[in-house]
Amino acid sequence: MKALILVGGFGTRLRPLTLSVPKPLVDFANKPMILHQIEALKAIGVTEVVLAINYQPEVMLNFLKEFETKVGIKITCSQETEPLGTAGPLALARDKLIDDSGEPFFVLNSDVISDYPLKEMIEFHKAHGGEASIMVTKVDEPSKYGVVVTEEATGKVEKFVEKPKIFVGNKINAGIYLLNPSVLDRIQLKPTSIEKEVFPKIAAEKKLYAMVLPGFWMDIGQPRDYITGLRLYLESLRKKNSSKLASGSHIVGNVLVDETAVIGDGCLIGPDVAIGPGCVVEAGVRLSRCTIMRGARIKNHACISSSIIGWHSTVGQWARVENMTILGEDVHVCDEIYSNGGVVLPHKEIKSSILKPEIVM
Amino acid sequence: MDCLVEKVVAVIMVGGPTIGTRFRSLSLTFPKPLFPLAGQPMVHHPITACKKIPNLVQVYLIGFYEEREFALYVSSISNELKVSVRYLKEDKPHGSAGALYNFRDLIMEDCPSHIILLNCDVCCSFPLVDMFEAHKRYGGMGTILVIKVSAELANQFGELVSDPVTNELLHYTEKPETFVSDLINCGVYIFTPDIFTAIQNVSVQRQEEANLRRVSSLEALHFAARTFPSDFVRLDQDILSPLAGKKQLYTYNTVDFWEQIKTPEMSLKCSSLYLAHFHSISPSLLANSNDTKKSTIVGDVFVHPSAKIHPTAKIGPNVSISANARIGSGVRLVNCIILDDVEIKENAVVMHSIVGWKSSIGKWSRIQAEGECNGQLRITILGEAVAVEDEVVVTSCIVLPNNTLTISVQEEIIL
Repeated sequence: MKALILVGGFGTRLRPLTLSVPKPLVDFANKPMILHQIEALKAIGVTEVVLAINYQPEVMLNFLKEFETKVGIKITCSQETEPLGTAGPLALARDKLIDDSGEPFFVLNSDVISDYPLKEMIEFHKAHGGEASIMVTKVDEPSKYGVVVTEEATGKVEKFVEKPKIFVGNKINAGIYLLNPSVLDRIQLKPTSIEKEVFPKIAAEKKLYAMVLPGFWMDIGQPRDYITGLRLYLESLRKKNSSKLASGSHIVGNVLVDETAVIGDGCLIGPDVAIGPGCVVEAGVRLSRCTIMRGARIKNHACISSSIIGWHSTVGQWARVENMTILGEDVHVCDEIYSNGGVVLPHKEIKSSILKPEIVM
Repeated sequence: MDCLVEKVVAVIMVGGPTIGTRFRSLSLTFPKPLFPLAGQPMVHHPITACKKIPNLVQVYLIGFYEEREFALYVSSISNELKVSVRYLKEDKPHGSAGALYNFRDLIMEDCPSHIILLNCDVCCSFPLVDMFEAHKRYGGMGTILVIKVSAELANQFGELVSDPVTNELLHYTEKPETFVSDLINCGVYIFTPDIFTAIQNVSVQRQEEANLRRVSSLEALHFAARTFPSDFVRLDQDILSPLAGKKQLYTYNTVDFWEQIKTPEMSLKCSSLYLAHFHSISPSLLANSNDTKKSTIVGDVFVHPSAKIHPTAKIGPNVSISANARIGSGVRLVNCIILDDVEIKENAVVMHSIVGWKSSIGKWSRIQAEGECNGQLRITILGEAVAVEDEVVVTSCIVLPNNTLTISVQEEIIL
């Protein structure tokens, strides 16, 4: 079985992190974002994954070789020479997605994090016998997104309404699709939107069905949602009683600590924290709702909340970092500094406090 | 080998990528030394100035960038100027003098009688021919280009005191806290090969001091603070300062313009300085305001031959337009740098800004900033491939590459 992951884009919303690596390789819960999806696909028997990319292919290709061997799945790239939108890349990768088996293939949006109930989706797809299935998820503020209006009983999609002004429904497109090969016949090799052009046609023919995504969903393409997404992800690990979660007297709530990370005495870590490989957390440190990426060092008595600390950065002694502070790669916050929402580009030293949210170039 | 024939080798220090975070919005996708000022790469200006020295045999660019980033440029400039230009990558920081020493074998290969040392991020008229004559008259080991600045500014640089009659360097101090002199170091030097001996002496002395410290533990306590590896030699503190007053170093005054190109704001200002300078050294490079068939030109303007400008546009003063740019009808450009492949649509206005490669500026949009105001320079910078939609106003912003602006913004950094 095959799958396509729509990577596309420059990842501008995740800068400064994406100034160091392309977005799919930004770590989430101690693993490159795209690896979460590749592993979920491997788990249900997908044998080949095609990545639709248009940016920094050389950097991606190096990592993909590593993942191919590690996960045991074939990974190829389909490179757009001009932006093809959300449907065009499928046409570009046509030959890689169809084989003689006639099986449907998955399409995933790379910014999405969820439980990936792909096995249930295959069963749903077989049951309704339609041409295409999409996952939808319930949100509090549907008007921010594209709402999918469905027939309650069968899940048959009636229509798509983009950013509706009045309430038409609370389910939005979750960016996970299962499509029959015939869908490819509907897509030309040009910039095309799957939600605005392709799906409405299939819905009009009554062949598009939507499944409500059980479990959590988050678009982690921007820092605020990345932090919320981590909370949801760790919560779902807890529900599955995962042994990956850390435990101990210094741990509060759901916390992920890489086995190569070191934590000093007298720390209080959590809730909703991920500490990456090779990180050093010295003594007396308080961490909550934050991600500490590979190789970072948090010095004695520092306090970090609701922030992302980039690869190989350091946070000085008694420093206080909070309120959506994002440190890019190799950023060094000096001792006793306060950062309130500072967004710091890579390779910088912070020698004076940041009192209100601002970008430090 | 006897170096009796006069031969000159020029060495230009170009720096490296992680140094110079102030230039980021533009250097994220482009090496700073190749950033165009008045239509030509920053490093091009000192190289063409060196070419005026009659016996120039070789130019070396030394920096921390990867060789491939300079490969195309050095080959094309070597062809264009008919002089060998090579890029050398430093493997680790050696300090400004240490870097020169690190490549001494290569530099001395041509048996030069004189070595010109320049910093790439200096913007000036490079009066090298006159300075060279003066150097030969002084007969010292080195001559430093100096300029007089206001007393308040002087302490940001190296301050020098020189004998008004003999021009001998009497005293040199780097960024002093109290006032020493209003004469500062321009970052342009001419040396004889004896400079290498002077640098070697510093290295040897460092090594000896290090050995001594190992012997005496009391000394070790005193010198615990800052110790450099023996091959790290700084030109200012380690060579110029100690040798001042020993009849080895001399100064040459310039009264022309001089600036350091540390920020994108300064690069716009320096571009204007070079455009004005073209009047005296290569007036044919400036756009001709008398050609009535073409667009209206005001003041100093550079337009690359491949750029296309609509006749109803009004360009200048102080505008540089790079290769393949397309300027639509009714466009007004003032004090800006328009980089390669930019498209500016009808009736748009761009002032006090830098528009990055491949960007697109919509109809009736306005890209602006205050310009020079109370001694401060404020400009708008659009990085590579930024799209500004029709009628949008962008004021005093820095926009990183690959962004699309759909609504007006003011005083923001857009990542």
